[in-house]
Amino acid sequence: MRIEERRIAIVLGLSVALLFALFPPAARALLSDHAYWIQIYIWILFFAMCATAWNIIGGFAGQYSFGHAAFLGIGAYTSTLLYLNLGISPWLGMIAGGIVAALAGAVISYPCFRLRGAFFSLATIAFAEMLRVGGELTDSVFGILINGARGLVIPPVGDNLSALQFRDKESYAYVIYGLLLLTLAVAFAVKHSRLGYYLAAIGDDEDAVKSLGTDTARVKLVALLVSAFFTALAGSFYAQSVLFITPTRTVSLDLSVQMVIMAVLGGLGSVFGPLLGAIILVPVGELTRAALGGSTIQGAHLIVYGALLMLVVRFVPRGIEGPVRQGCCRLVGLIAHALHGPAPLRPAAVNAPIMQLPEGRGALGLRAAAAGGAQPLSLSNVTLSFGGAVGVKQVTIEVRPGEVVGLIGPNGSGKTTIFNLVTGFLAPQSGSIHFAGRSIVGLPPHRINLLGIARTFQIVRPFISMTVTENVMVAALPRCATLSTARTEAQRCLAFVGLSHRLDTIADGLSTGERKRLELARSLATRPRLLLMDEVMGGLDQRSLPGMVELVRRIRLEGISLLIIEHNLKVITDVAERLVMLHLGEKIQDGPPIDVVSNPTVIDIYVGGTAALR
Amino acid sequence: MTELLIQGALSGLLIGGVYGLIALGLNLVFGTMRVINFAQGTLLMLAMFMAYWLHVLTGLHPYLSPLVTVPVLFGLGYAIQVMLITPLLAREKAREPMSVLLMTLGLAILLENLALMLFRADYKTVQVGETNAVWFLGDYIVSVSRFWALVALLATVTALWAFLHHTDLGRAIRAVGQDRQVARLLGINDRVIYNYAFGISTALMGIAAAALVPFYYTHPAVGTSFLLKAFVIVILGGLGSMPGAALGGLAVGAIEGVIGIWTQAAVAQILLFAVFVGMLFFRPAGLLGVERK
Repeated sequence: MRIEERRIAIVLGLSVALLFALFPPAARALLSDHAYWIQIYIWILFFAMCATAWNIIGGFAGQYSFGHAAFLGIGAYTSTLLYLNLGISPWLGMIAGGIVAALAGAVISYPCFRLRGAFFSLATIAFAEMLRVGGELTDSVFGILINGARGLVIPPVGDNLSALQFRDKESYAYVIYGLLLLTLAVAFAVKHSRLGYYLAAIGDDEDAVKSLGTDTARVKLVALLVSAFFTALAGSFYAQSVLFITPTRTVSLDLSVQMVIMAVLGGLGSVFGPLLGAIILVPVGELTRAALGGSTIQGAHLIVYGALLMLVVRFVPRGIEGPVRQGCCRLVGLIAHALHGPAPLRPAAVNAPIMQLPEGRGALGLRAAAAGGAQPLSLSNVTLSFGGAVGVKQVTIEVRPGEVVGLIGPNGSGKTTIFNLVTGFLAPQSGSIHFAGRSIVGLPPHRINLLGIARTFQIVRPFISMTVTENVMVAALPRCATLSTARTEAQRCLAFVGLSHRLDTIADGLSTGERKRLELARSLATRPRLLLMDEVMGGLDQRSLPGMVELVRRIRLEGISLLIIEHNLKVITDVAERLVMLHLGEKIQDGPPIDVVSNPTVIDIYVGGTAALR
Repeated sequence: MTELLIQGALSGLLIGGVYGLIALGLNLVFGTMRVINFAQGTLLMLAMFMAYWLHVLTGLHPYLSPLVTVPVLFGLGYAIQVMLITPLLAREKAREPMSVLLMTLGLAILLENLALMLFRADYKTVQVGETNAVWFLGDYIVSVSRFWALVALLATVTALWAFLHHTDLGRAIRAVGQDRQVARLLGINDRVIYNYAFGISTALMGIAAAALVPFYYTHPAVGTSFLLKAFVIVILGGLGSMPGAALGGLAVGAIEGVIGIWTQAAVAQILLFAVFVGMLFFRPAGLLGVERK
């Protein structure tokens, strides 16, 4: 069925592409006011191109830029200035504009990408507004006339391919058609490359991606460069088709926001969603403008845009591309059914029992990798306080190769802080942390992961919009040459944790126990030598607990050292070879499990004085 | 020249009172829900049109308009939260509710352009006694209407502070802002608290509008420029800090005033955005905000 659907999608896509290619001549032949319709067609494709480019960083990675018109403006001005001053063809100027915009993106990415969510959006608005106001105030830069708010006029030269000017609308229509196809092809390639996997995962949970060995800042930067480049190409096209540009019109917040709206309507993270968004919104906007009194109300179409944005966010948050595609496939299926009789039945998905672990020791074959370094993890005198509150104080812990150490202590005793320190999410104020013979203090999380330390999170953090296999692929990719080896590796790890029956399930639909297994599979796919597990048994029912304990034992048999946070003392004394007890940020016990749990102080702290008497 | 600059700073400081009021509203919602309301400026615009039409149709002095606008706006804000935002928060409780950003953006676009259609794009002004009145403070001129805007800010921030610290509802709002989970465990219905917070934040725009209408033009697009400034102020003063919002508002007003005398007002805009990005980058908690983990 999947292959069937893919075939239908390809045929549909090609027919749509063909229909679009045929529109301009058909309009000229059939419609009396064809110039008007071809102009609308050009706007649709232009906005589709902008929104598709925006989507590469905005939708794929969930980094909502509200300032993308800045790149459009940079593109428009670069090609125009090169043409006006040096006579360079806008075809080349377009590429130059893309490069300049990408450079600008690189510059602003440094401050912006340190910000998350809404703050990123606000920063992008700030940069775009600075550029707009700055442009409006500047008459010339280094002697080059840019004419401030009055803008630049490109003198018309009639039909001239190298000057990218045409008398008829059709030629412009074909130029933007080609540009859009190129942008869509690039977006498609990004989406289906390893970059696409990383971006989707970043959109769900950036910290988790870092912990799996990927430099998220670099990934986002690459996506932003691509996105800025194509937005700028659209900007150059805009300049050539209007022949008049001002900072106010090109770098406008309205334009940035319209890119966002089209992408959201069509589908964030979908390759063809923004195109669909533009196909719907541009004509709807045009009709509204016509119906509500034409040019007297500038913002009439925005009423519809605003209302549609609200409706989509409320009712179809993932955009309409998915439902539309499914609808089309079903329709084609129905037609095929009518023509050729019923399609063969799909075999029902096999629902495996709760879990089946593969037989045999060292099933993952990680032993060799794990044995690679005979050096321990050692924290010595590590201290970190948050404002006035103590996180951890003078803590010294060692985990020797192949050892299983349990980290126990009441809530707030600093256990998870230790994990965050070891994995680079926090930096100690004093003390040292060594692993594999080197200091890891100050290394970013992804570097620490690449050294061989993996972790799970206390509150599980699957990439909820991706499938189970894709989740694990994100972890396997930094160590795999191709997508298909990463897929195989991911499936091996998933088999190891007993999730083979869930490979194509969207992670959001998993139970708590399954999510914990998924997180373990993800960690294992990074081929760790040391694995930090934060309460992997927590929240499991009694039925699933033995399976998880067994899984932990098997991970241990792979030769991986384990540092385990666990509240269930019975389980941890069973599994661990040594226990470390923290209390109020300090280490108060360190020794064989039986000694630690029978220590009166430990009992006193853990279960309270009276319980100790029983 | 010095006198001119002081005069500029003074005038700016006074209009900063209005900036502060808008930032207060933005801050209250962010402080409780961690959500940035893109429609805050648009709600101010609505409030201004309400004050304007009340004056034109009934002759009500804009300074008395909050008697009508504040309750109406509170109801509107409450309804927006219940109908538009709560469903999204319920859906995205696991991560930062970015869809709320998009929802309020959609609302802002919708309302602004509806207003443009209904009220047209001409600049509407109200003439009352305070509009052109000035006082002399030594050599300096103080615009009476702007002075009252400053008074409105100081009174509102004091009242809001007292409300947040000395009433049960106020304490509940702060509690939910600090730790929603714990507040729930203590029996606070966080959803209702959110409704109140959004309602109050919207109602504050009634006060800002009353202060603004006598000396500023009323126009459908008036919200956007105020909103962008309010973002700067909120980041400058500290997210979630009420005194920070008030002081940030005054500071931004004063900076604008001085730069407006010295060179073009637009330069102040660039400078403010530069400060904004710098603050986001180096001290996202703001000058008076509390660092959060």
